Amino acid sequence: MATFSFRAAQSSNKRKTFLLLGAMGALTWLVLLSIFTYLGTSSAAIVPFAVGLTLISVWGSYYGSDKLVLTMTGAKQIQESDNPKLVCLIQEITIASGLPMPKVAIVEDSAPNAFATGRNPEHALIAFTTGILDAMDRDQLQGVIAHEMAHVGNRDTLVSAVAATTAGVIALISDLLMRMMWFGGGRRDRDSNGNPIMLVVSLVVLILAPIAAVMLKSAISRKRESLADATAVAFTRNPAGLRSALEVLAADSTVVQQKSTAVAHIWIESPLDGKSVSKMFASHPPIQERIATLRAMESLN
Amino acid sequence: METTLIVGGIAVLLIVFFVAQYNRLIRLNVAVDEAFAQIEVQLKRRADLIPNLVETVKGYATHEQSTFDAVITARAKATTASTVADVSAADGMLTQALRGLLAVAEAYPDLKASANFMSLQEELSTTENKVAFSRQFYNDSVRLLNTAVKTIPTNFFAGFAKVDEREFYEVDEATNRNAPNVSF
Repeated sequence: MATFSFRAAQSSNKRKTFLLLGAMGALTWLVLLSIFTYLGTSSAAIVPFAVGLTLISVWGSYYGSDKLVLTMTGAKQIQESDNPKLVCLIQEITIASGLPMPKVAIVEDSAPNAFATGRNPEHALIAFTTGILDAMDRDQLQGVIAHEMAHVGNRDTLVSAVAATTAGVIALISDLLMRMMWFGGGRRDRDSNGNPIMLVVSLVVLILAPIAAVMLKSAISRKRESLADATAVAFTRNPAGLRSALEVLAADSTVVQQKSTAVAHIWIESPLDGKSVSKMFASHPPIQERIATLRAMESLN
Repeated sequence: METTLIVGGIAVLLIVFFVAQYNRLIRLNVAVDEAFAQIEVQLKRRADLIPNLVETVKGYATHEQSTFDAVITARAKATTASTVADVSAADGMLTQALRGLLAVAEAYPDLKASANFMSLQEELSTTENKVAFSRQFYNDSVRLLNTAVKTIPTNFFAGFAKVDEREFYEVDEATNRNAPNVSF
């Protein structure tokens, strides 16, 4: 890992997110093209249907993300008087970042972890497990808070909602298509004089697209994690704090009780067992890689 | 007919462009003002903590009058300063004086163990962090503004918007940035 400053890391991760989102757009376009080739334009009705269904499911949860995630993770919102030290630390980061004060919540769980959500900085919520509050000292906790506030400032709930929508549309379209082919309905309405090579290519695209979409979604999630690490350093100017916090997380083998994949991407450390998920589909970059990047930033100071 | 449309279109685009540049400069300038106000809020909060802290230390350490005087004088200076340079100078002096006070406290185990002193110290340490972060945020805002004032195309509009480069908030010596370290 080359040594680079947090500013360089921030812009490189932002650029890569744009590229990946562009790739997602291209993939969607390719899928649509394949449908038209394979099924003819009259079957295009499934496209608005798939888009509409995904929009409702993903954007509903995006809009209510701060409340929805509370119930999904069992987090309890707290007031300043409940934990003045934690609230003071968060206030420090809001001053450093210029972001408004988020809602704060606690998850009763001995596994150290934390997450941020909310549709915009004004509706942000950051949550910590009781485990992380016990395990970390002031500097480490400050690094973790800065990482979560970085997600808020970079609007990662929005980015992941966009990624989830595209991946969802593609998955739904190919699923519907498979069903249509199962019942032999697909090609009824088009003339059989299409180019056979194009038909095969279209079919392959439609089969592989959902996998590619999930891989792209995971890649975007990983880039946003790296970006949040870099932005956290921009807030605290103290890479050592977040680095040693990540070392604590890496050394800890306990995982958060609820392991729903639906909310896995929002935690600072992936709650899913690292070994069972291949790197291509992981929502987080390997923790050792993140530690190495932060170490490189430390050596600059 | 067509040429007037084209000319009109270009004129509209130009106006939109000018307004955007002008507004960007004004926004950056206001952000710097806001960031400076935040420093003052945090410094004020620190100043408010001091009488309480001095009284607590006095209760245990009666023979350290010179240290107390240094803190009180520095606090008085800090509360009256207004320009960026004055505020940062007074801020540096107060930080130094507070360090002296905390060093004095080190010599009195009873004081260090008192719950009142410990909670004051925690409050002081978070306030020091807030001061440091508000300085950093101010300097970031100044950096953005100064870059805009000096780079194309915004530099052409700086005079018109009456926006000028602003001064950074300098801390006298590097060691001043290290706030008293309290772990919990």
